[in-house]
Amino acid sequence: MRESADRSAATAQAVVMRGITKRFPGVVALEDVGLEVCRGELHAICGENGAGKSTLMKILSGVYPPDEGGLEIGGQPVIFAGTKDAEQAGIAIIHQELALVEDLSVAANVFLGREKRTPLGLLDDRAMHNECRRLLAILECHVAPGTRTGSLRVGDQQLVEIAKALSLEASIVVMDEPTSALTESESARLERTIARLLANGTTILYISHKMDEVFRLADRITVLRDGRHVCTVDRAATNPRQITGWMVGREIADHAFAVGRARGPRVLEVRDLTLPWPNHPRGYRLSQVSLDLHAGEILGMAGLMGAGRTELLEAIFGAEEPIWTGAIRLDGQPVRFRHPREACAAGIAMVTEDRKRLGLFPDLDVAGNVSLCSLQESLRGGLLSRRAEEELVATPIRDTGVKTPGVHASIMGLSGGNQQKCIIGRWLLTKPRVLLLDDPTRGIDVGAKAELYALIDRLCRNGLAVILTSSELPELLTLADRIIVLAEGRLTAEFSRAEATEEKIMQAATGG
Amino acid sequence: MSQSDAFQKPSFLFRPGEWALVLAIAIAIALTGLVDTNHSYWFQPLASLRDIARNTALLGIFALGATVVIIAGGIDLSAGSMIALSGTICATTMLALAPAQMMGFRPVGLVAVAAGCAASLLVGFLVGTLHTWLITAVRLPPFIATLATLVGLRSFARALCESSTAALTPTKSALINVSDPVFKAIRDNVWIPVAVFGILAIVTWLLLTRTVLGRHIHALGGNEQAARLAGIRTDNVKWFAYCFGAMTAALAGLFYVANESVAAPVNQGRGHELNAIAAAVVGGCSLAGGVGTVPGTVLGTIFLRVVIDAVSKIIKTGADVYEGLIVGVVVVIAVTLAQVGQLAKGGRRLLPGALGLCAIPTLSLLAGAVAAMTTGGRTGIATGLVAAALLALLRLWESRRTA
Repeated sequence: MRESADRSAATAQAVVMRGITKRFPGVVALEDVGLEVCRGELHAICGENGAGKSTLMKILSGVYPPDEGGLEIGGQPVIFAGTKDAEQAGIAIIHQELALVEDLSVAANVFLGREKRTPLGLLDDRAMHNECRRLLAILECHVAPGTRTGSLRVGDQQLVEIAKALSLEASIVVMDEPTSALTESESARLERTIARLLANGTTILYISHKMDEVFRLADRITVLRDGRHVCTVDRAATNPRQITGWMVGREIADHAFAVGRARGPRVLEVRDLTLPWPNHPRGYRLSQVSLDLHAGEILGMAGLMGAGRTELLEAIFGAEEPIWTGAIRLDGQPVRFRHPREACAAGIAMVTEDRKRLGLFPDLDVAGNVSLCSLQESLRGGLLSRRAEEELVATPIRDTGVKTPGVHASIMGLSGGNQQKCIIGRWLLTKPRVLLLDDPTRGIDVGAKAELYALIDRLCRNGLAVILTSSELPELLTLADRIIVLAEGRLTAEFSRAEATEEKIMQAATGG
Repeated sequence: MSQSDAFQKPSFLFRPGEWALVLAIAIAIALTGLVDTNHSYWFQPLASLRDIARNTALLGIFALGATVVIIAGGIDLSAGSMIALSGTICATTMLALAPAQMMGFRPVGLVAVAAGCAASLLVGFLVGTLHTWLITAVRLPPFIATLATLVGLRSFARALCESSTAALTPTKSALINVSDPVFKAIRDNVWIPVAVFGILAIVTWLLLTRTVLGRHIHALGGNEQAARLAGIRTDNVKWFAYCFGAMTAALAGLFYVANESVAAPVNQGRGHELNAIAAAVVGGCSLAGGVGTVPGTVLGTIFLRVVIDAVSKIIKTGADVYEGLIVGVVVVIAVTLAQVGQLAKGGRRLLPGALGLCAIPTLSLLAGAVAAMTTGGRTGIATGLVAAALLALLRLWESRRTA
């Protein structure tokens, strides 16, 4: 491997992919895609979900073979029969969905499949721990090599993956949306790591949705759309709006949604909500949080991961045992929901944060996913009627603009944006007055996000009271009438739309 | 896209996989008719049918229970022990109400019979409740909770049988004879259990496809967390599923008592829970939950019983000797065939690497040994060699294809 690296030092291209075509049953994921990545650059790959970014990277890292086309690494044509071959050629990939064994230690994960051994053939834990500690120190990751990986935060787990890439001495590192689950400070740490890798001559392929990140980090940008290569440009020669335009095939207009919304009467009131956190040094998940929510208003909630956003929404919705103190009042009446069923009956709906894990039913079709909370309405003579169910779901599917081949299509065949619209449609059928949206646009592509914004705005104008959390500040600034900020379980600031800026919110979210 | 198209139309009567089962059942029956040297399917069609129908109905009744539990994302390993307990409860109740008649092999009266059956079903409900409590309140995994009752209930049933006979009859006994005419009538008229199975299947099918509770069962099995957050009282849905599972086993237990004219907690229903789970899995249930149909389970049950019957007809030894072996093989083949499309397309290999090499003699030995035991040493050796040759060819073909 060393040898080939020396020989290829003459070529400027670290990776050349030519005419790559990949078909899956029923879909052409990639069609005649070419990609040239220069040695030592950070090459960003942009595109909507389903554009083929991840598939292209999986071909590069040997997960799939291409149906057509060829691959050159450092000037040498290569054929990868599996990920092992790609590793041998110096390619490491950090998958979007982390591929770590949660029950093994950090060191065991870093050396998984390449364990160091003592002369007797037994595992050499000490050597692995030492090496692992050294790698983690480089990455500013302060966890012990013996820690169970599953107990780490997502940001640290990601660094464990990067440590694995480092231990492979990979010359090409692929990062598939690495910051999608990271807090701002973890993202900053990751960016320092990236800078260090680049300084050592590593080539990085970087997939991201986030334009600010791409424009801060990338040397060159490749845009894919619908499995085809659109263009590759120098960062300096373009701007974010042009890139998103290429990604969706049209330019996205920035809307100022909140203009001219009329605020109605107060619907929900939270006073001094404190949620204890047993066996934790801080002692509470939420402390003395108060807020008001009016009809026809979107209340944005900002905060880093672990700030307590989800916990606050869950306490209101009754998703967990109500061990909180304080008061929650709905229309002035004190409420204390012990089960989501009660909240639902009282007119509160919650679209949960992790769509796949907490929202979707993969074995039910689109209609089944939408009608689930209002099945009583599709009963005819005491039994569920297929026709009544189709009629019931037709309205929310039309109103939320779900694009589906049919109401009985598989929900898993829809894009993330359409799945999310189905879930919102499910809750609209319960005729809620308060809608809690926990990071509804996470993992959804740019075009679908704009549609969701318009949908949320429309619902709000129809008199719904909405609490919206988001890990992307521009989203809150676009949609919300007011923004409250949580930091470490406390409410640290409240801004009107006019006052709020990203800087002020970040300051409140990090320090308070 | 092709997958979503399949969801567009409701398929006629059965789903594609279920039509394959219908075909498999037809083939098994036709083959048995041809190969069986006594040709009993030709000469005694009614007797053969009666035999298969009785066994299918008995297994099917609690396989429907297993189906509901599996779709709800759980598992109930205790059905076999529940059958034993149910029979014992019924017999003990009748013994307590009419000891003289029970011991004298005389009619015990309709009231006592009804009380015995009601007591069994009530105990089914209690066991289902116990399972749900262990799973939702104590938070045991369903496998552990029902494993505990699998071993516990049978032992409990035997203890109950012995202590009640000790108290109510002159001698302590591990079985209680049941010879009431009601039970005899059920034994002699096979269509009673078949009718009960048929009605129960229709009710379960309506429940799963056409009621809110049924939809909630599917949702619970598909994604429990999401189901709770969608406002479904998941604990109550589980409670229903485990009670349904235990009560169908209790119902089956009554038929076993009738069939064998005895409540025998030591052996009745032993291992039957796995047959029920096998029938559900062959019928297309996924042990991951959320997936399964009543027609699938009914066909899976018929298929299992037809194959078991076929083997006993062909090799002329008691089916019970080979029953476990047949169920095992059928489950493996049925689930493998369900993935045949993937196997062909995905380039996946059945005999990869060193594991594949070792699997060839393992499978050939198994085939040879079974053939030797049923038809004699020489055929056994021949069968083993042929199996080895075929597997070696498959291996060669697979390595050619991927190379």
